[in-house]
Amino acid sequence: MNEQSFTFPLLHNAIGIMTPFLLAATGGLFTELAGMLNIALEGLMLIGAFFSVVFAGLTGSLVLGILLGVVSAVLAAALFAGVSLNLKANVFISGLATNLLASGLTIVLAFQLFGNKGVVRFEIPKLPSLMIPALARIPILGDLLIGHNILVYFSWLLVVLAALAIYRTPFGLRIRGTGLNAATIASLGLKPRRYQMAGILISGFTCGLAGAVLTLKLSAFVPNITSGRGWIALVAIYLGNKTPWGIVIASFIFGFAESLSNFAQGAINIPADFILAFPYLITVLAMIVYSIWRHYRARA
Amino acid sequence: MSSGLYLQMRGITKTYPENDVLANDEVDFEVRENEIHAVVGENGAGKTTLMKILYGLEQPDSGRILLKGEEVRIHSPLDANRLGIGMVHQHFRLIPEFTIAENVVLGIEPRRRGIFFDRERAVCGVEEVIRRYGFSIDPRLPVSRLTVGQMQLVEIIKILYREAELLILDEPTSVLTEQQIHKLFGTLENLRSIGKTVVIITHKLGEVKAISQRVTVMRKGEVVAVRDTAEVDERELSRLMVGKSVTFQFEREAVNKGRVVLELRDVVLRQKGQDRPLLDHVNLKVHAGEIVGVAGVSGNGLAELEDVVGGLRRVSQGRLLHDGRNITDLSAVQLRERGLAYVPADRLQRGSSLQSSVMENMIISSHHDFLQGGFFRRRAVEEFAETLSSSFSIDGDPRVPIGTLSGGNIQKVILARELASQSDFIIFSEPTWGLDIASAEFIYAKILEIRRRGIAVLLISSNLDEILALSDTLVVLYRGKVVASLSNERKLSKELVGEYMMGLRDDSRGAAAPSDNGPTETGPSESGPSPGEAS
Amino acid sequence: MKRPHRADALLTGALGLLITLGISFLIAVILIFLLSKQPLTTIYYFFVGPFTNRYYFGNMLNTAIPLVFTGLGIAVAFKSSVFNLGGEGQVYSGALVATVILLALPQSSGYLGGPAALAAALATGAVLAGMSGFFKMKWRTDELISSFLISSAVIFIVNYFITGPLDDPSNSMLATRAVDKQYHFLGIFPPSKLDISAIFAMLAGVLVFFLMYYTHWGYEMRMCGLNREFSRYGGINVSTYVVLPMIISGALHGLAGGIAIMGTYHMAVKEFSYGMGWNGIAVALIAKNNPLGVLPAAVFFAYLDAGAKAAMLHSDVTFEIAAIVQSVIFYLITAQAIYSFLRRRKRSRP
Repeated sequence: MNEQSFTFPLLHNAIGIMTPFLLAATGGLFTELAGMLNIALEGLMLIGAFFSVVFAGLTGSLVLGILLGVVSAVLAAALFAGVSLNLKANVFISGLATNLLASGLTIVLAFQLFGNKGVVRFEIPKLPSLMIPALARIPILGDLLIGHNILVYFSWLLVVLAALAIYRTPFGLRIRGTGLNAATIASLGLKPRRYQMAGILISGFTCGLAGAVLTLKLSAFVPNITSGRGWIALVAIYLGNKTPWGIVIASFIFGFAESLSNFAQGAINIPADFILAFPYLITVLAMIVYSIWRHYRARA
Repeated sequence: MSSGLYLQMRGITKTYPENDVLANDEVDFEVRENEIHAVVGENGAGKTTLMKILYGLEQPDSGRILLKGEEVRIHSPLDANRLGIGMVHQHFRLIPEFTIAENVVLGIEPRRRGIFFDRERAVCGVEEVIRRYGFSIDPRLPVSRLTVGQMQLVEIIKILYREAELLILDEPTSVLTEQQIHKLFGTLENLRSIGKTVVIITHKLGEVKAISQRVTVMRKGEVVAVRDTAEVDERELSRLMVGKSVTFQFEREAVNKGRVVLELRDVVLRQKGQDRPLLDHVNLKVHAGEIVGVAGVSGNGLAELEDVVGGLRRVSQGRLLHDGRNITDLSAVQLRERGLAYVPADRLQRGSSLQSSVMENMIISSHHDFLQGGFFRRRAVEEFAETLSSSFSIDGDPRVPIGTLSGGNIQKVILARELASQSDFIIFSEPTWGLDIASAEFIYAKILEIRRRGIAVLLISSNLDEILALSDTLVVLYRGKVVASLSNERKLSKELVGEYMMGLRDDSRGAAAPSDNGPTETGPSESGPSPGEAS
Repeated sequence: MKRPHRADALLTGALGLLITLGISFLIAVILIFLLSKQPLTTIYYFFVGPFTNRYYFGNMLNTAIPLVFTGLGIAVAFKSSVFNLGGEGQVYSGALVATVILLALPQSSGYLGGPAALAAALATGAVLAGMSGFFKMKWRTDELISSFLISSAVIFIVNYFITGPLDDPSNSMLATRAVDKQYHFLGIFPPSKLDISAIFAMLAGVLVFFLMYYTHWGYEMRMCGLNREFSRYGGINVSTYVVLPMIISGALHGLAGGIAIMGTYHMAVKEFSYGMGWNGIAVALIAKNNPLGVLPAAVFFAYLDAGAKAAMLHSDVTFEIAAIVQSVIFYLITAQAIYSFLRRRKRSRP
């Protein structure tokens, strides 16, 4: 494998791989901005993954599959939100519970519906890929940006919409206000809880999509297909400093690491596992450096 | 300018269930159109509660509110806003990370095409308000970069933007410099001249004279007087505010002063974001067997003094000395080891751990004494707790969580714990607020007992009666400065001390300086907890 | 001193727990009815199965052992109001370190090898979690996130070693060589895998209980956990008690890994310990962070697992029903916090 033909698929794959991270993290960002820790991204993604491919299989339509998959994830998010906000549960524990529920439920249903606890294949159309000429014409990056499936492009659109929503709408202003100072928001007659709920439901929406990306690409459901991607998304939010563009970069780092570890066998001397560990380590480092900076700035 | 009644509050009564305090007792309150009306009173007088009711943050148990003759119901700040009532709180409700414009329009943001935040229109709208009222500030600035005075201006802009006709300001000058206060008053007068009505809650009598047309004096939940400002002087206001002296059922024997146990030398405390020092060159000496009482209105440095002496806050300048030895930079841990005893004002957060048992609370500073090879001698702890409980008349099982006890009993536990230590120095802060008379008298008796034993006592309190009854030496803090240090051998008059507390007298400036027409400075801080006035 | 609880506070707590468990069991039954074609058989095996023979019963108790240690680790952390989310990595790396030491030791090390390996496992976990505690103390770095991140990275690194340099090609798994037989814990309940580490687990529970309620570190940890400001006021060095609980928590997790190796697995298999960390959180929750309660809570958790396994083997449902039931328990337990809180508030108003 020469250098030339190695870099291109590496980067191209990375862009595809980063999509679930990007989607989940973008939704999770809303929850974080509203001031709540959302560790249920993993479980919500799994729900979306399962139900989107199952419904696609049942209806024969990708669109319906995606739609119903997303709805399922939003419902799960509503459960999570209800328990956390209305029953005042510890958001961390209820997040764990959500993940556990998703994991158990999807396997139980798979077994029940398809008699199979392993990989379940479906006869569904493949996710269409797009070759957008306008993108192809962009210098240098052009070829990397084309040829991805529609959900990848949709994720980019979503990030743009999310950025708009957060910084250019009253909703975004209020949700950020809720996370920064819920008391002030309440004193203005607004209800912080509403914005926290919205944050969670939005994360359900995007995580549903993220899951759909995983299963629809394979036309199959693999048990625990998410395998930690939800957690990576959470890390991406922190690494990206809780901004949409930071999340794009952070998601790319993780996508790149995974892509690299796939290609690494034989091509590079660093073991695949180290490559996968790398993004976590730089995130920890970034967090510590940030804390130190913040600590000394406050003392000044 | 008409002088019809803009606002009438009739028979307002409010009791706070948490501590059974009658914050407002059949209060009648009237404000005329186009006037600046001051509401004065000491802490706990009920002023803030009354205003919270007016602004919809609290609901009265009974009473009516009439605006321009029509009865209204105010269930929330939104209702108040709709009725043209706006309130600037003592502690700002701003989001530092947002710009001024964003803070002002939050909740009623102008929109473009229904979903987008029309930032330009927001900035324009806020600029228009700024211009209309003669202010000068750039609405695009983030609030984090503003001075405290400017932040307050933003709060005012916030309510003017919502077209308030009646503005309520709660202790607006407690965080401002003299210059900023001047500006504020100019603004208020301006607002009045264009038709607004202003209610200003304050305990600064100089300000009352400077800015208001009429003043309502409240004391212990009741209205005690309503006067035209031009017809009262500050001394009379001060007298109305503090009322008659209450005599306690004990006699204080002559003081027997020993060595200087604790000394504060030229202590200065500054805080980032505050425009002036919270403690301003404070000098203080406490002798063995002496009770030094520190009086002042909350917000003038009492809480900061407590924090500093208790070891929970580092001074910016100056020294603390214990028995002549420098203890300035010692941590709370080390001060405890040196034998400092401390009964804090914040009983529930700082003074105790509500979920822990009485026993566990009792041994927080002394738990090392009950160890044997690293392990607790449970029996010894229980015996200790039981002994303390009986000598302090605390009922109940020491194994019970302390949060289930009444306020008086919690304070007794704290007292018992602190007095049980072999200290030569103890600091009390607001020891009897919120307590019933029996508990309060019990505590006074204990304080006098330890004084007899030769312990140095520093008593910080905003309760003037208490301070006057107990102190041998009385110190008054005003705006972080010691403005008086008087011997209380022959009991000082409440009126006199009140004048120091209100800033009407200041020994640190040489001769007593009677009423200052200008605005007066105060140390900005979070007020300690006070019954019913909790903000 | 004994945990000071009035009799009825204890009762309401127990009552709440019973209700939670009752509802969860009900849900399990409903699920079984929905999913199984022979619901009654399934229910029998789900609830009674683990008790029907020595093999199931012993294995159930054996599964509980690592959960006791991780549960204790989480309980200590939660009681001190710090969050150790790195349990998985701490267990896994502790296990690997123990394995490496045991494999490296010559045959004759006898009684030294075991303790050395366990000590090393303990130290590994302690260092990993302790780092997060240190960063929190020094620079207020969120220990929840940092412990999770470090743990995630560590898991990959351990994976590398197990599947790479330490992999034993002669066994058909992704695993290291098996450690020498002398380092296997004695089985105490054949034919099940239950070994003497069960006794260590019980000892650990008692020791940690003792630590938390009868020593001054425990007292100071708990006070800091309940009210940091009060503790500081009272003269406790609060910053120590950000690091110390994390170190203890990590140590217990590492130990869990070492014990799992010496007791049950005898070799480090890739991702063999997955779930021990997460389930430790569940166990601590059910036990309300009480060290003595961790013992029955771990057994209960293992019971759910064992029941589901038995039901799976003897009937037609899948093992993952247990996960659903567990998630319901989680939801109810944490929401339950408000019930008991409300009850307590009502009582404290005389």
